Amino acid sequence: MSTREIMSDSENVEQAPNEHELSTEADLARAYEGDDDDDEDAEPITAQKVLEILETAWTNEMFAPELLQHQSDMLELMMSQVAHMEEQMKDLDKNDFRYVVHQMELERIRYIMASYLRCRLQKIEAFTQYIINQDATYDAADKRLSPEEAKYAQEFATNVDEYFSKVATRYMPNQQRGEAEQRIVAPNLMSHVFLKANVAVSGVIVGVDDEEVDLTPGSQHIIPYQLVADLIQKNQAKLI
Amino acid sequence: MSRSNRMFGDNAFNLLKDLQRSSQTIPAFDDDGVRQVLEEIKAIFEENVAQASNYNSSADRSLWPLLNYRHAALQRNKRCLLAYLYERMQRIKAMRWEFGPIIPNDIKPALCEPEVQFFNNYSKSLAAYMRSVGDGQGIDLTGNLRPPKSLYIEVRCVENYGKFELDDGEVVHLRKNSQHYLPRAQVEPLVRQGILQHIT
Repeated sequence: MSTREIMSDSENVEQAPNEHELSTEADLARAYEGDDDDDEDAEPITAQKVLEILETAWTNEMFAPELLQHQSDMLELMMSQVAHMEEQMKDLDKNDFRYVVHQMELERIRYIMASYLRCRLQKIEAFTQYIINQDATYDAADKRLSPEEAKYAQEFATNVDEYFSKVATRYMPNQQRGEAEQRIVAPNLMSHVFLKANVAVSGVIVGVDDEEVDLTPGSQHIIPYQLVADLIQKNQAKLI
Repeated sequence: MSRSNRMFGDNAFNLLKDLQRSSQTIPAFDDDGVRQVLEEIKAIFEENVAQASNYNSSADRSLWPLLNYRHAALQRNKRCLLAYLYERMQRIKAMRWEFGPIIPNDIKPALCEPEVQFFNNYSKSLAAYMRSVGDGQGIDLTGNLRPPKSLYIEVRCVENYGKFELDDGEVVHLRKNSQHYLPRAQVEPLVRQGILQHIT
């Protein structure tokens, strides 16, 4: 993975929105292929792809009011990639220009991963019960929480409940306690987001009066999140 | 406490106001305040229960507004109290991210027992989560808080720290007022603890 590729990553995405037409599953499959056969030629491309997916996931997560689908697979790939690169860099001279550049690049990738996971944790902590309830209604294949996050959310919910009950709720009269469902905080799904279309989507319903809008590739819009949530999910558009 | 110019909910509201005004990381847990609010809740509740049965048997319509009023006061008290606890919880959480898994000594007296417990549990599950991420490879989420601008940063020592070993085995002596040029990733925790100061 060369530095130039990473540095100019954001521009790349802007110039070639068509790349995103590839569905995430296809990317996933290709990324795994690259991981299995240690083809030196193929690896840089796939690592680049993984990073791209992660970056999109990161920006989407940052701007979406609700928790999006987890990307554990991509994250795992990237982490082993980072570890791999670190291993290779041990042989390089510390004062070599390439060393500095590569190190910087790794720092950036680490920041993206850490920031991405932090952002998810913040949402999990803010909307704990809502997210747990929602996740229970999804099929195993499209759970929003990764297993680790699910465990964390559960622990957090118990922890908060315990704290509240110890300090306050257990001293309240009986009838006043059982209102935990009143305490559920839900994200405001109708908050407006900035959005950029990756591919042409026609007939997106906006507003209450069934007004329709056609999105052209690369066009940007301000739109309530809930109306375009499925486009984000299908990678037809991304938040900016 | 004169009863004349006080209203239901005052105590609860004061809890929140004090918390919001405080400039400390986390002010002392207001034991008295919380107890007063809880007592008020209980008192209102008991009065209401007594009158509700009265209302049911006598069908005296004039009691209805009073019952409603008390109920609203009760709800408000409860809400303020829980908001107070929730805000404290947020600060305790922020503390975990800032100072690591051990409660700093100057803050400890400000917390009540359940809060310390909450902190420990929170800290434990956060650590467990960070270890389990990425198929057991683990990632420290409390690092890398800001987007990296450069690999090395210039820092000045605020206090005597002693020897500090870098990842590559190099040892730096951190003496008070000495200046160093160090890898950002490795000294970031020290900067956050206030041992080093980032100078531009």
